[in-house]
Amino acid sequence: MTDARILTLSERWFRLLLHLYPADFRDEIGAAIVDVYRERARQAMSRYGMPALAMVWLRALVDSLWNGAAERLRPAAFWRRHGNWGRDFEMARRRLVRAPLFVVATVATLATGLAAFAVVYTAVDKILIEPMPYRSPQDLYFVWRDLSASSGLPRERVSGPDVAELQRGGGLIESAAGIQLVGPTFSAGPETEPLQVTIMLSSPNLFDVLGVGPALGRVFTAREVGPDRPSIIILGHALWNRLGADPAVIGRTVWLSGAPYTVIGVMPPTFRLVRASIGGPPQEADAYLPFAFHVADRDPNNVGFAALIRVRPGTSPEQAAAAVEAVGRAVSERYRPSQPFKLFPVGLHADLVARIKPVLITLAIAAVVLLLVLCVNLSSLLLARATERTREFAVSRAVGADGIAIVRATLLEGLCLGVVGGVAGSIVGRWGTALLVTLAPVDLPRRETIVLDWSVAIVVIAVGAILGLAAAVLPAAWASRVSLASLLTSSGARGVGGAVPMRRALIVAQIAMSLVLLSAGGLVGRSLARLLAADPGFRAEGVLTFTVAMGPRLFPKGADVLLFQDRLEEALRALPNVSQVSATTALPLSDFAQPATITIPGAPGNTGDPNHDAVLVDLVVARPRYIDVMGMRLRAGRDFDMARRSGVREALIDTHLAAQFFPTRSPLGTTVAIGQRSVTVVGVVTQARLHDLHQDGRPQIYLRADDAAAYTPSFVLRSNGDPRAVVADVRRVVHQVDPRIPVSSVLTMEEIVTDALRQQRISTVLIAGFAVGSLLLVAMGLFGMVAGSVSQRRGELAIRLALGATHDRVLQLLVREGAVLIVAGILIAAPGIYAAGRLLRGLLIGVSPLDPLTLLAVAAGLAVVTILACYVPARRVLRIDPAPLLRQG
Amino acid sequence: MSTDRTRIDSFVPLRPVEFHILLSLVAGDRHGYGIIQDIQSRGETALPNVGTMYRALARLLDSGLIESAAPPNTTRTPRGGAATDDRRINYHVTALGRRVAKAEAQRLETLARAARVSGLLEKKAT
Repeated sequence: MTDARILTLSERWFRLLLHLYPADFRDEIGAAIVDVYRERARQAMSRYGMPALAMVWLRALVDSLWNGAAERLRPAAFWRRHGNWGRDFEMARRRLVRAPLFVVATVATLATGLAAFAVVYTAVDKILIEPMPYRSPQDLYFVWRDLSASSGLPRERVSGPDVAELQRGGGLIESAAGIQLVGPTFSAGPETEPLQVTIMLSSPNLFDVLGVGPALGRVFTAREVGPDRPSIIILGHALWNRLGADPAVIGRTVWLSGAPYTVIGVMPPTFRLVRASIGGPPQEADAYLPFAFHVADRDPNNVGFAALIRVRPGTSPEQAAAAVEAVGRAVSERYRPSQPFKLFPVGLHADLVARIKPVLITLAIAAVVLLLVLCVNLSSLLLARATERTREFAVSRAVGADGIAIVRATLLEGLCLGVVGGVAGSIVGRWGTALLVTLAPVDLPRRETIVLDWSVAIVVIAVGAILGLAAAVLPAAWASRVSLASLLTSSGARGVGGAVPMRRALIVAQIAMSLVLLSAGGLVGRSLARLLAADPGFRAEGVLTFTVAMGPRLFPKGADVLLFQDRLEEALRALPNVSQVSATTALPLSDFAQPATITIPGAPGNTGDPNHDAVLVDLVVARPRYIDVMGMRLRAGRDFDMARRSGVREALIDTHLAAQFFPTRSPLGTTVAIGQRSVTVVGVVTQARLHDLHQDGRPQIYLRADDAAAYTPSFVLRSNGDPRAVVADVRRVVHQVDPRIPVSSVLTMEEIVTDALRQQRISTVLIAGFAVGSLLLVAMGLFGMVAGSVSQRRGELAIRLALGATHDRVLQLLVREGAVLIVAGILIAAPGIYAAGRLLRGLLIGVSPLDPLTLLAVAAGLAVVTILACYVPARRVLRIDPAPLLRQG
Repeated sequence: MSTDRTRIDSFVPLRPVEFHILLSLVAGDRHGYGIIQDIQSRGETALPNVGTMYRALARLLDSGLIESAAPPNTTRTPRGGAATDDRRINYHVTALGRRVAKAEAQRLETLARAARVSGLLEKKAT
């Protein structure tokens, strides 16, 4: 290779390196740099040969890498190269300040929309996304029994032996714990006022399974379980606080239903274990005890446990399911070969949020749609503003501003509005979130974590910024095309072209999206109306309920329990304004009843198939006249009488059992077997629904309290007036009868019903709010468009009037323009409505997702509002007097 | 005048490469390669990188200490015969640049004097 060729090659290398510098620097100085390097290369070559040349190449590379980057980052040059954002920003700010009304209106709209988004986003983020406060929460599962093969119940709690088998399981199942909840009375000392708490009974390894340690003291050891366990208790943080947050509480004695327990630990404030019940509200514990028995010794048919397992790290949900199923097959074959069941795991998080998830996802989608409407709305507002500034754009173009500069200015304006809107939205959203948590049902999972914090605020502001930018894209693109020539050719009479079709398209998009939201709101609202109208099987008005906890230690004999309840009932009945009193173990909608398996030997409905003939029922214990007090409907026979008939254990069955076992004849007088007991049917009732307001649950059987003493009965009182008015009297009476007994859960039946509907109510309110908000946005958009159209087309309209068109005809013309857009929007919305309906299916109760009545009503409502939004501004045309306008030319 | 003083002070101390550039230009207009040769002839052991030198030029241009001057020794030919020379921009020190250079020189002199007093440097023969 000749030296000349090597030098040419070197020069090419140096030129290549120039690309490491910014373009303007390269253009200005690049040639000089190459010259210097070439000179050095030549000298190196001639004096020292190839190795020196290689050094020059290498040094040139390092030099260019370093200085190229440094030059790119040099602040003064950076700003020069990337436009003058500071100046542009200042311009955008000034322009906005000059239009305060526009800014306030826009920011307010944005803030409202973004606040709605923020609230929903917070809830979704905190409930569905944020990890739970346990070690590797993804490895935790609840295990349920699937009894659908034998008794049609797809999800039941498990039995003690099931838990024992899971604990023995080995393989992928690392550990397992059984859980039960009980509600005895608790007191800090033998003399102090009792309070009712919820206690979580569990296998001693519960905290190890969860991977959570105590804040004070210790947790249970593996041997602290069974009949001869020590009387020890671990307090939850809230209960510890209620007792005075004494750091020296470890070793102190507290009293549970009159029995002493030693405090060995206090859990940290972040610790909560919410045990999901089968279908009802998750329950939370105030304190923790180990089981007083060994789970393996329990009746395999008594499904009273929740089972929590931890699988080995890295186990997939499918593998976990397979492992749990294998355990299930083993227990099922061992204990119930004739009535097989399955075990299946549900992720702890999935289990907790299962009920709320569809609601949240629907709300999230609704919020996103609202954001889209907002974005389109902002876009059309900015476009309208851009149209007003056509002249300004054209002039700046003429004096040398390039399209990019105008695009940048418009985008910045959108960005500023978006960011300000985002900040305002976060602030409003913070209040909104607090409001949501107040309104939300008590069982909203993880509600204590639902706060709009900085991480959410940042997301909301970012969304606002993106929204603002996205909304500005269309107006920016349009504005960059404006030139002086286009301004000159489009005279006042024609209005400014280009922008109008765009605005129309935006309006159509808005109409379509808000119709989708409106139909979702309509469907959810109708579903709520159906629920409100549903007959739950009882009359809630005028009924007060409260629960008393009577520990076995206070009442060692069953007879004492009955005696106390009789006395209390009598004292309550003597109260003024109380007409009737009774009590039960399972209040309607409490979602809590003892499950039991019954058979009715000799009933005509028996098939001979044991799976079919042994029925899992909700066992409800009730005191006399309960059916009457609760306002349930008696279909046959009689209620439990005040006077007990000797020698007969009375029972009431519900219409489902009656229909299954006695399709042809009356069930009255038949004997029902519940385990070892047998009872006689004296009446048939319609279900007072225990689980859901809108549908019957398991079959129900009611037993007389005299035959099955209940330690935590809920009393029910029917009052003549407002049931709340007798609360003070009730507390006084209970205290008089026995001062050791605490009164808890004082609720009217109406409150219980309201609480059961809270989730539906909230989702309805939110979705309907979104829908109405978007409708307002659409109406505003249409109003602005038609108003603008009237003022821009004054000349044309004046000519029409002068040529003989009546004002009415011109008005029609303008309204028709809006109507076309509305119809187009409605047609475009159809697939969206269909999709929304599919999404909503899980939320809707008693309403088809394509309910024609609702959808038609919603579309009609939208049409009326939007037509009005066209008509009102169009009426301005009536004020047009053609003569002077035409004279002006 | 006082604001001028502040303005000059804001540039001092200069980076070594910047001082070299100003030093060369005070003697007369130069193009980039000429400046590098000047630096070499001053016996500086650590020669600045080419990129560093040209970036310093760009910086000094930006801050108005130097300006580009019309190349005195070349004339544009229509055929572009003297392309290499043509591309070489000559730089010229501005009044501000001259004063900044002077301030920097004074600063260095003060330092040098201090070094002498402390015996780091041999005393100048008087």
